Amino acid sequence: MKPQVNIIAVVDVIGALSGSTLLDGNLCMMDDGEHSSAHQGTPDLCTVVQPGQVVSWTALAVDLQTPVEIKNISFVPADDRHASGQGQGQAQGRPHGQGQSQPHGQAQGYSNGHAQGEHSEGDKLDLDVWTGVVPGWLQPGVAYQYRLELQMYEGENSVMHIDTPALMCRQH
Amino acid sequence: MPQQLAIIVLVDVGSALESESLEGNTYLFDNMKLQGSTGQGTGELVTAINGSYWRDGSQASEQVLNWLPYSLGSIPPTVPRGYEADRARQSDEQALAALQDLASKSSVPGTDQSEQLSQVRKTVGARVKTTRRTSGRLSGQKILDVTGKVVTEDNTAAYTYPAPVITDIYGEAVDSKIMYPAEYGSPDLVTDGWYWSATVDTSRPGTYSYVMRIQLHKLVGLNGELRWEAVNLTCPSALKITSEPRRNAFTKAGMGMLPIPPGAGTRPGTP
Repeated sequence: MKPQVNIIAVVDVIGALSGSTLLDGNLCMMDDGEHSSAHQGTPDLCTVVQPGQVVSWTALAVDLQTPVEIKNISFVPADDRHASGQGQGQAQGRPHGQGQSQPHGQAQGYSNGHAQGEHSEGDKLDLDVWTGVVPGWLQPGVAYQYRLELQMYEGENSVMHIDTPALMCRQH
Repeated sequence: MPQQLAIIVLVDVGSALESESLEGNTYLFDNMKLQGSTGQGTGELVTAINGSYWRDGSQASEQVLNWLPYSLGSIPPTVPRGYEADRARQSDEQALAALQDLASKSSVPGTDQSEQLSQVRKTVGARVKTTRRTSGRLSGQKILDVTGKVVTEDNTAAYTYPAPVITDIYGEAVDSKIMYPAEYGSPDLVTDGWYWSATVDTSRPGTYSYVMRIQLHKLVGLNGELRWEAVNLTCPSALKITSEPRRNAFTKAGMGMLPIPPGAGTRPGTP
């Protein structure tokens, strides 16, 4: 077993901002896991992992002179996800730090502090390391989808998210 | 952070040559305003460089700086490389056609040939003299104005300047090994095939000054010939380096289990 699986989100920042969407090829996700992950190169990447493995997320810009950082990664309870399916991949269109409605799953305390409205422009997202260990209780063959929020520069249309990528434990 | 940093050095070439100084004639921009750069669009730019380090103190991100000189009052650098040569050739062709026209009319009595010849001379423009020192893209071409027209005797004031060239980057930030600048070849002809770039050591926070040596070109007429003469000027700027520790974004501390809620997950195929 590889000790670590790396997931890279490659973003066409100019394409995403001008089209207000992470879809249409503006976001490609890849991983280097040793099992065959599904949908490599798309926003629907389903990364096959094993309990105890470290998963690490990184965002990279296609044009190296454009800024993009991961703003948040949150795992979504199954019931909540359908309600949030609309507007997927669209700009959230909310100003920073103004008591924004919480993305699903975060009200229950499964997110880090970034999306809670306590951070503003000085987020220093570049200092964040998005790394964690796969819990042992995950059921094999179940897709644990997560919301990936990306921030491109600043301003009210700078944060976009998708809910389609997932982790899945390998079936024995 | 993998984002590359660009510093634009915009020079008002005409004013700089007139005052023989870049002070007040240089406008600096970078793409790090979000990260805290100050003085955008002035000569007082301080470029913010935010580094980061791991728990053991080692540098966690490498910053790359690129410098691009732009010019006020020049033909844009995005026009094709052969533009000057093309424009010069066009004006030659026009002059040849005018001469041919003149030759065919010369048999007609009463034609004022000297007047027409002088007209041809006026529209043909002037070529810049090539010397051993100034050979290169600038020489042998005609002088154009910013709209690409060949400069003639009637409008000599309106010529376009060659783009400024950075010839060296030195000073405190280089001496104290904060940055390692060098000039690189580039396939991007907007930069004339060359550009200055540096990597930065972010392990020693502070503000460090540096100096760019910038070469401008002045059109000099001597003994009836025109040539571009190099004028070397300097322009100071500064880097402000900060560095902060990396942190785990999920836990805000060390590494932990991924925060997956118990109810999460769907089997493929289930709605």
